[in-house]
Amino acid sequence: MPEWLLKKDDYAAKEEKNRFINKSILSILRMLSKFQYGSKHESNRFKINAITKIVTAILLVILVSLSRSFGFLLIIDVYLLLIISILKSEEINHIIRMAGIVSIFTLIVLLPSIFMGNANNSILIVIKTLTTITIVNITSSISQWNETTKTLKLFFIPDIFILVLDITIKYIIIFGEFSLNMLYALKLRSVGKNKNKSTSVSGIIGTMFIKSKEMAEDMYGAMECRGFTGEYKLHGKLSFRLNDMVCIIIDIGFIASYFYFVRV
Amino acid sequence: MILVIQLKNIYYSYECGVLALKDVSVQIKPGESVAFIGPNGSGKSTLMKLINGLVNQSSGSYDFEGQKITPKQLQNDIFSKSFHKKIGFIFQNSEVQLFCSNVYDEVAFGIRQMGMSEDEVRIRVYDILRLLKVEHLKDRQPYHLSGGEKRKIAIASVLVMNPEVLVFDEPMNGLDPESKRFLKKLMIELNEAGKTILCSTHDFEYVEDVFKRVVVFSKDHAIIRDGDYKGIMDDKKFLFDNNII
Repeated sequence: MPEWLLKKDDYAAKEEKNRFINKSILSILRMLSKFQYGSKHESNRFKINAITKIVTAILLVILVSLSRSFGFLLIIDVYLLLIISILKSEEINHIIRMAGIVSIFTLIVLLPSIFMGNANNSILIVIKTLTTITIVNITSSISQWNETTKTLKLFFIPDIFILVLDITIKYIIIFGEFSLNMLYALKLRSVGKNKNKSTSVSGIIGTMFIKSKEMAEDMYGAMECRGFTGEYKLHGKLSFRLNDMVCIIIDIGFIASYFYFVRV
Repeated sequence: MILVIQLKNIYYSYECGVLALKDVSVQIKPGESVAFIGPNGSGKSTLMKLINGLVNQSSGSYDFEGQKITPKQLQNDIFSKSFHKKIGFIFQNSEVQLFCSNVYDEVAFGIRQMGMSEDEVRIRVYDILRLLKVEHLKDRQPYHLSGGEKRKIAIASVLVMNPEVLVFDEPMNGLDPESKRFLKKLMIELNEAGKTILCSTHDFEYVEDVFKRVVVFSKDHAIIRDGDYKGIMDDKKFLFDNNII
């Protein structure tokens, strides 16, 4: 055992202005929490089929973007508020925060137009933005990633593409956690002044590349061992229940009210 | 005597709301060797991260050498660096700790920042590489080493900074029997040299004689027993009932 290891070091740390590592850790944590946010809910929430949810969302987005009627937008917004009221408080926070930020940004962009006397149209655009963002966020709150990707099949997206998309999402999380741990390790050993931060970060990136190559090879090997020959068939069970039927009836109601307000 | 670590009623929940630590209270004296055991997902690794200041408690208090460890304190650059100098963490997956182009630079990374001359750095790096019997690897790329070699380099890279507390997260995972025996001997020697050793583990066969105290976690993320290592490890019924053996 070396002698210096048997006694305490007399070391006083010096301050460093650069907060690069902490900022990187925070941004990866934010990204990971977004994915965790989307995956923590139980599957098939509200007992509505993923396809029904996605189709409803797309339909509402199309109707909202086509409509020029405040009345129609009001109906949609009331409906969305009803859905939001039965979500969890953290989901409500997330939805309101996202919708609020985007709407305020849109409002700022449209301020010149409002001052030039085009208030009605500008407010209509802001309401449409608010409604569209809320629809998308509600859909993402009540759907899981794997459910959402499966619905792509409905739009004639090849199964192999959906598989690649699923694997990509999975690896974003795996590599996000891996890089987070590497940054933690870098932070724990950054006990003084480091003039070569870029070298450490390029080391982390290099390790990530090697790791991703190895994991890709391992996964392909595992797939081959399970009989994968390049063909992939996605199997999904489509079960329409009462809640799906209710949802479809509401959708039909929206389509009817859209045309009603167009006529008015 | 000032306690090295004092955790009082620590609760920790992940951002998604899942509870990982429930009312955890532990006191660690300088020079102690403590094993943290429990079933998978009981919160051992989270506690190791919390002790190292990588995650912050949702409630409760954490004192290190009599100083409060809070998110605000850890934002203080000088405090944070002094704290990380005193406590070394060996991750469960050693790969994440290796990011330099060769083993020598990897081991030298921490101490080069401490303002040591290159001569002092060389002495320390070679001392540690010899201690861990990996001197022959000094020019190799860390990423292409075997699992056991990676673990030894990760330990060397932490030990070279001469921390007062060493925290191991499942150190025996993925090691062959010879590497496990080596690591066990090293932990005993480091503890005899005055280092405080904390370790989360499942591998009881290879950690016998290393620890004098054991803290047992239940699947509910709470501490259910804290006491003499031998006494608890001999209570087979308790260990079986709590999914530890």
